[in-house]
Amino acid sequence: MDFLRPSTWDEALAAKAAHPDAVPIAGGTDVMVELNFDRRRPPALLDLTRVAPLTEWGTDGDLLRVGAGVSYRRIIEELGSRLPGLAMASRTVGSPQIRNRGTVGGNLGSASPAGDAHPPLLAAGALVELASVRGVRRVPVDGFFRGPKRSVLEPDELIAGFLVRPGGAQQFAKVGTRNAMVIAVCSFALSLSLETRSVGTGIGSAAPTPLRATEAEEFLSRELDWEARGPVPPSVAQRFGELVAAAASPIDDVRGTAAYRSHALSVLARRTLAWAWKGFREVGP
Amino acid sequence: MPELRLRINGEDHKADVAPQVSLLDVLREHLWLTGTKKGCDQGACGACTVLVDGRRIVSCLALAVQYEGREITTIEGVDHPLQEAFVRHDGLQCGYCTPGQICSAIGMLSEHAAGAPSAATEALAPEALTPAEIRERMSGNICRCGAYNGIAEAIQEVAS
Amino acid sequence: MTTHAKTPVDPAPSVPVGGAVGRPVDRRDGHAKVTGAARFSAEHHYPDLTYATMVHATIARGTITAIDTAAAVAVPGVVAVLTHLNAPRIRPVRKGNIVRDLGPSVSGTEVNYLNTDQVFWDGQPIAVVVAQTSVAANEAAPLVTVTYREQQARVDFAAEQHNATPAKGDLTFAGTKKKGDAEAALATAQVSVDLRYTTPGLQHNTIEPHATIAVWSGDHLTVHDTTQSTDASHKYLAWRFGVPAAQVRVRAEFVGGAFGGKFAVWPGTVIAAMAAKAVGRPVRLALSRKAVSRAAGGRTASTNRIALGATRDGRLTALIQDSITHVGSVGGLLEATSSPARHLYGAKNMLTRQNLVEMDLLPNTWLRAPGEAIGSFVLESAMDELAYELAMDPIDLRMRNEPATDPTSGKKFSQRMLREAFEAGAERFGWADRNPSPRSMRDGEWLVGMGAATAYHPVLRLVADVKVRLSNDGTALVQCGFHEMGMAAATVQAQIAADALGIAYEKVRVEYGDSDLPPGPMAGNSNQTATVATSVLAACAELTRKVTALARKTGTTGQEPAATLRAAHTPFLEASVGSTSRLGSLRSQGRFLATFLKDQRWSKAARGAQFCEVRVNADTGELRISRWLGMFDVGHIINPKTAASQLRGSIVMGIGMAMSEQTLVDPRNGRTMSAGLDSYYLPVHADIPPIDVAWLNEPDKSMPLGIIGLGEVGMTGVAAAIANAVYHATGRRIRDLPISLDKTL
Repeated sequence: MDFLRPSTWDEALAAKAAHPDAVPIAGGTDVMVELNFDRRRPPALLDLTRVAPLTEWGTDGDLLRVGAGVSYRRIIEELGSRLPGLAMASRTVGSPQIRNRGTVGGNLGSASPAGDAHPPLLAAGALVELASVRGVRRVPVDGFFRGPKRSVLEPDELIAGFLVRPGGAQQFAKVGTRNAMVIAVCSFALSLSLETRSVGTGIGSAAPTPLRATEAEEFLSRELDWEARGPVPPSVAQRFGELVAAAASPIDDVRGTAAYRSHALSVLARRTLAWAWKGFREVGP
Repeated sequence: MPELRLRINGEDHKADVAPQVSLLDVLREHLWLTGTKKGCDQGACGACTVLVDGRRIVSCLALAVQYEGREITTIEGVDHPLQEAFVRHDGLQCGYCTPGQICSAIGMLSEHAAGAPSAATEALAPEALTPAEIRERMSGNICRCGAYNGIAEAIQEVAS
Repeated sequence: MTTHAKTPVDPAPSVPVGGAVGRPVDRRDGHAKVTGAARFSAEHHYPDLTYATMVHATIARGTITAIDTAAAVAVPGVVAVLTHLNAPRIRPVRKGNIVRDLGPSVSGTEVNYLNTDQVFWDGQPIAVVVAQTSVAANEAAPLVTVTYREQQARVDFAAEQHNATPAKGDLTFAGTKKKGDAEAALATAQVSVDLRYTTPGLQHNTIEPHATIAVWSGDHLTVHDTTQSTDASHKYLAWRFGVPAAQVRVRAEFVGGAFGGKFAVWPGTVIAAMAAKAVGRPVRLALSRKAVSRAAGGRTASTNRIALGATRDGRLTALIQDSITHVGSVGGLLEATSSPARHLYGAKNMLTRQNLVEMDLLPNTWLRAPGEAIGSFVLESAMDELAYELAMDPIDLRMRNEPATDPTSGKKFSQRMLREAFEAGAERFGWADRNPSPRSMRDGEWLVGMGAATAYHPVLRLVADVKVRLSNDGTALVQCGFHEMGMAAATVQAQIAADALGIAYEKVRVEYGDSDLPPGPMAGNSNQTATVATSVLAACAELTRKVTALARKTGTTGQEPAATLRAAHTPFLEASVGSTSRLGSLRSQGRFLATFLKDQRWSKAARGAQFCEVRVNADTGELRISRWLGMFDVGHIINPKTAASQLRGSIVMGIGMAMSEQTLVDPRNGRTMSAGLDSYYLPVHADIPPIDVAWLNEPDKSMPLGIIGLGEVGMTGVAAAIANAVYHATGRRIRDLPISLDKTL
């Protein structure tokens, strides 16, 4: 097995171009599981931990740009107020030990339908920045996932980071078998922007890929009383929950039945809506 | 095979290992620092928890080469009041998960002291280390013998 | 009564002479375990050590027609690849009588690994790679390519139930027990329930995976093994490899959890010893988590019909339990799921039947409270259902059916304080605050429920050889090949020996976990503490007699024993129970039979009352355990601290069984899908509330020091208490474990 250790981003892209079958590794919390369990013997590993810019975050115009190598821990501690939905989801990723090493870039790279970072990125309308020696492209995250563990990432590309507009009210909720160390039975993220009067959603573990509930988003942005921030009528919350559940295409598996997942999604949708709207009403935009 | 240089418990160590070898395997099989345990090799049990620059990580999911130049602390290098508290409160039975529990608890106490919130934290800034906070923050370490109550009591005693 | 909401901590800095028993002293090996100094089986360093990885079959039943190892052999660092074509030939597994001849029959399966081309389950080890490093071994193992001739395999338990046949049972447990005409009594009962409960397969998943280091020196074999039966295991290996037992040493000073999963000799042990013989170097075979699930057995799944008939005032007239469990085609255990039903309640008419299905799966084995863990879920859930049918408090129903003598055998109870346990428990738990109507208690979005169940585990005593030496420096050494997997076994025996010899607890050293020591019992069936104590007490009594005689001779009567030895210029005195000579072994068997028959005069068991409070989210169905009390009738407690830990730990395992654990087998090919801790959910810290444990502390007068083993009873009744509480909270009966989210809504 080859082991490639670029120290700059350009070197990393060159290495990936030369070894398109090399598996990128940063925190290692996904790749190492596969290595240890012999599920995968890649011809080469591409260690990205020496590429400093990957672990940085900053602004890019009015967007926040977060490097693919920023750990969940840093998202929780450093970006909790700017990206509250993602920070909430990050608090539930694996264990604290995993959060100290694991990265959102890695979560995107694995493209698991159960990835905890995906719903809040979907809800926030994030862009994923993909780079290769051919150039850089920014892909809306809802177009990034192609299927279970598949994405639009080309063999010569690396995930550089993601961009997201900070602000608004964001919430995340997940249900699982245990109280902690939970692989989601299903999860849901909601983002409300007072400024643009828009609603964003993200669903996890309830379809072959993480996905948005676009009909639910449109419905809710129409129905919310953005002007006076009046209470959400129960019928609206109910309908929103139904539309979220309808957007998913869950299956029965060992963690839960499809019917349960649909039900739980509608509950999570109503809950996150109540929390987010309450935040607006109390704190303001 | 490139020579790997690791700084562990304040001492320099060398090992000749393939690049895909985990930090855990280097510790146990090359340096015979066997206090760090292998439970699942997939980051799901926490028995292999060590501290790197004071932060807890699972060493089974860490490539050893990524940790050159870092300060690694394993149970063999730990001298902390938690250890005796674990014995006094019987926060262990078979003892196999114990080194990981202790390293994890040390990392957890400093995370909490630095103000890091957990999934159990409701307020913006975490307050006292409540039993619920300890349970949540220690959930990356599984104890199949079920010594959780004693573990929580030991941590609570040392924290306060 | 003694209760422990928190871990009891010893108030005094040192233990007074004569006051060790009953004290919450710290476990002796605690320091070694919290500093990383404790060396477990895979952690012994040999300079020329090699590393082995097994290759597992990928079909459930068939014959290996070709096996190609060329690619694996070519991996740099590989020393050897052994298959059935080139592995050393060793003696085949011998079937033996489990009581008379524990050694040879200790095999987890009847498969002659690497000496046969037959495959009996998906995951059966069929080859082993030995290499200079574990990296090379792990890289090479998947490169072994195997061709099979496949046969039809029976792998789907649900689909095979019609093939179940009545189990024969054995000396200690009959396949069928009848009293009166239970079916007729059920048909005419004033009130009845007739129910079906299922439980999934379960895995031990000790955090330490099975591991062996095997070292041959000429025809002497040393094995560091993850075992809870060093004596049986060393005899087994001696037989298989055709060497005298005295030339095989099995060591297991520290075992990282066992729970029955490290009792039988699983393939890794035999294959490591074979490989070490073949390559002429020490071999370490440390199983991966996945390999453990494929090569070391777990608990069977079960399907159970239970029917209860009662008079309107709650007296049981009929009790029927019909269980189906499985075994492998090459071994396995009859899981005694009817055990609680046979011994707990005084039903006039009883019928309990065990049925077995043979499957082409990894044979099942002992897992903490085998029989009772499942059986208590079935019986105690059904009792709760009957109580609701009768509109009666579920505890009252149980108390109304307290028998005067054992309901099956008619024997007297050596000790039975179930009533007292329920009374004290109900008081302490606040059972009276429970509104009996389902779905009547609520805290915001959480539905609150309270449940109770009886805990039950029978007593078994085996036999132990013990040697005790008292030295003139005031120290004592206790030697016995018993096992320490977390029970604080050495701590407890040191407490017993210290008081028996009248010396300070700190002065007693204990050696264990080594087949070169006087043979101890296997650690299982909660037997070890009482078994070893029996012999420790006998040896200490003999030693005390010797010291007394010597004191009279030297005029040191009344002084400490060491002073007597010094006065007599005697460096030490020894006393032994048992010996390993041929005659000694026969006598040991005689002692075992005598103890066994003596114990058979009684109906003996550990019992208890489990109480829990659960919260079920009304919207999402999430289940949380919010309170627990276990009130136990477990005889005299030697060490309250470690006893509390054993009971709590068992309850935690029961919570896992109730809420999240299940072995998942692919019904198409028999492959274990829950082969990692990412797919087999053990309880995590956040799942476990503070667990209140308490005991009545009444000695069982038929047992040494009144001890009743308590390593397993804590697990029994737990799943039922939770299911009963979930019913109380939600109005939904969960009859199929685990109680996953989707079932509670």
